[in-house]
Amino acid sequence: MSNHLDFTRGRVAFIGIAVCFVFTLFLVAIPIAAKAAPVNLATAQPFVVLGGAGVTNTGPSVLNGDLGVTPGTSLSGFGAPAVVNGATHANDAVAAQAQADLTTAYNVAAGQPIAPGNDLTGVDLGGLTLSPGAYGFSTSAQLTGQLTLDAHGDPSAQFVFVIGSTLTTASASSVILTNGASPCNVYWKIGSSATFGSGTAFEGNVLALTSISLNSGVTFLGRALARNGEVTLINDVLTLPQCATETSTTPTETAGGGGTTTSTTTSASTTSTVANGGSGGGKKPGKGKSAKPSATKTGGGTATLVRGKKSASGVRASVQGKRINTVTFTDNGVRVGGGGSRTVRVATTPGVHRVVALVTFNGSTKAKRLAFSFRVPTPVLHPKFGPSQFTG
Amino acid sequence: MIERRPWSRSRGIRLGVGTGLAVLAIGGAGAAPASAATAPAPRPLVVLLGDHVARRAPSADAGRIEAVAARRPLTRGRTVLPVLGRGGRDDAWLRVRLPGRPNGHTGWISSGRTRSTSTPWRIVVSLSARRVIVLRDGRIVRRYPAIVGKASTPTPRGSFFVEEALRLSASAPGAPFALATSARSNVFQEFEGGPGQIALHGTGNLSGALGTASSHGCVRLAPHAIAWLASRIGAGVPVSIRSRYVA
Repeated sequence: MSNHLDFTRGRVAFIGIAVCFVFTLFLVAIPIAAKAAPVNLATAQPFVVLGGAGVTNTGPSVLNGDLGVTPGTSLSGFGAPAVVNGATHANDAVAAQAQADLTTAYNVAAGQPIAPGNDLTGVDLGGLTLSPGAYGFSTSAQLTGQLTLDAHGDPSAQFVFVIGSTLTTASASSVILTNGASPCNVYWKIGSSATFGSGTAFEGNVLALTSISLNSGVTFLGRALARNGEVTLINDVLTLPQCATETSTTPTETAGGGGTTTSTTTSASTTSTVANGGSGGGKKPGKGKSAKPSATKTGGGTATLVRGKKSASGVRASVQGKRINTVTFTDNGVRVGGGGSRTVRVATTPGVHRVVALVTFNGSTKAKRLAFSFRVPTPVLHPKFGPSQFTG
Repeated sequence: MIERRPWSRSRGIRLGVGTGLAVLAIGGAGAAPASAATAPAPRPLVVLLGDHVARRAPSADAGRIEAVAARRPLTRGRTVLPVLGRGGRDDAWLRVRLPGRPNGHTGWISSGRTRSTSTPWRIVVSLSARRVIVLRDGRIVRRYPAIVGKASTPTPRGSFFVEEALRLSASAPGAPFALATSARSNVFQEFEGGPGQIALHGTGNLSGALGTASSHGCVRLAPHAIAWLASRIGAGVPVSIRSRYVA
């Protein structure tokens, strides 16, 4: 009898556990399914800017990647002083295929399942730190300040932002990628148009249904891809991130080469260095030929950010190295310097300054960010004499 | 003999449910929610290098609000205004907080003949706690007891800024220093020859105990407190006057 009872109670308990386990699996499957599905840009990969109706530039913008437009044909403002370090495709077959692949990628991004906790409708992205996954905005999205994307050490971690209508960034806003996050794996699906405020430091691939507008001094590590409307630039720097080859019919990019970053401090100056470790071969994107990854090929690009002494006129920051293509400096997210100079002087206004140099290389070396920070103490003030005529 | 509790079907189901929920909780813990990270940035300011006209919109054609002089009236120091945003063609216009009445009003000025700067400082006046809280880079670095406006002459609430810092003579009311703010009394249109200007100043030559509401609207601080502030806080530093402090 006792054995029978033990068997019965064990069976009931087992049934209870089994029922709840199945129920639990069903519920847990929701967040698992909510993990962002891969987005593949395919032949749109080499394009740092791709417009639908046209692309308009004002001032000395720099595009480190291909430029294209289709079905429109208008590409205006890309003569001097603007620089395009890549191919230009004005309503040709390459641009048309890229637009078709952009549409596919856009639809994949738009179809990402959004977990209930990842619906950020009405939340300003500024000040948030987000883990990999898909995040949704049923209407517009706003970035005021700094958004941090933390990959938790997984370089393949993907972030997808599915935005119902517009994306707007305030002046000097920024997107910071940490713990291995790559701009190659950050996608912004915009239901209508995206507008980037002056001095925004942005990362990721923007896939907009209509238009993309960059105000003055925006630094962009990623792609600005518009399906139907215009892309508008004003004195901006857009750089194609060096990404591992995606599965596509036309391989265009290979891994850059496992750069390593070291930082040393001396009494005279602080240096932050990146050197190509040479773990991957590669080729300049967009040339159409397949490149085989090779452990023996090296990009060979190196860069060192040197911080000079503080003086009344500011702190000098300079980038030195090999195979450097472009250097873009920002101070607390606001672009400083210009004209492609590798040296800038950062004004010593009171407070903490974070100086970032975005370095791109000729060849396969990955674009890198080098940075240092310094604090300028508030000077002791000596107010002048004045009359006391206050309310008291 | 130990009496064993009879095993029931419902108990078995409860165990199963509990186990299932525990698994669910573990699974749920694996989800990575969005987490807010505080990253206080220096507050942007603009120094006027010439006289300006504040307008209602970021355009030279927009309606005129008022003239903004390049120098402040008490010390003749440069006018420094908090920048709230940018706009207009090429972001060439700055939305700034303006001094004077109506309290806390804003307008647009051209970025021409200006110099950008910033401040890590912020001052919050908690009227209910009768305290002045000083923040640097978003962190509280000082809390000082203060005298605030009495019920009949309250300290106005709102978002303001330090117009100018000045040293007062030893015999002056409010000595030894004052931080003249952009706030104006809602009771006095004029006071002691001034425009009813609200200041953070000392208690020199004035009566009243710290921690009370007994001033005419100004915020009075102990001499060491206002001296500490006056050696660090300059024009343009934001001042929030609130019923109570909220981080």
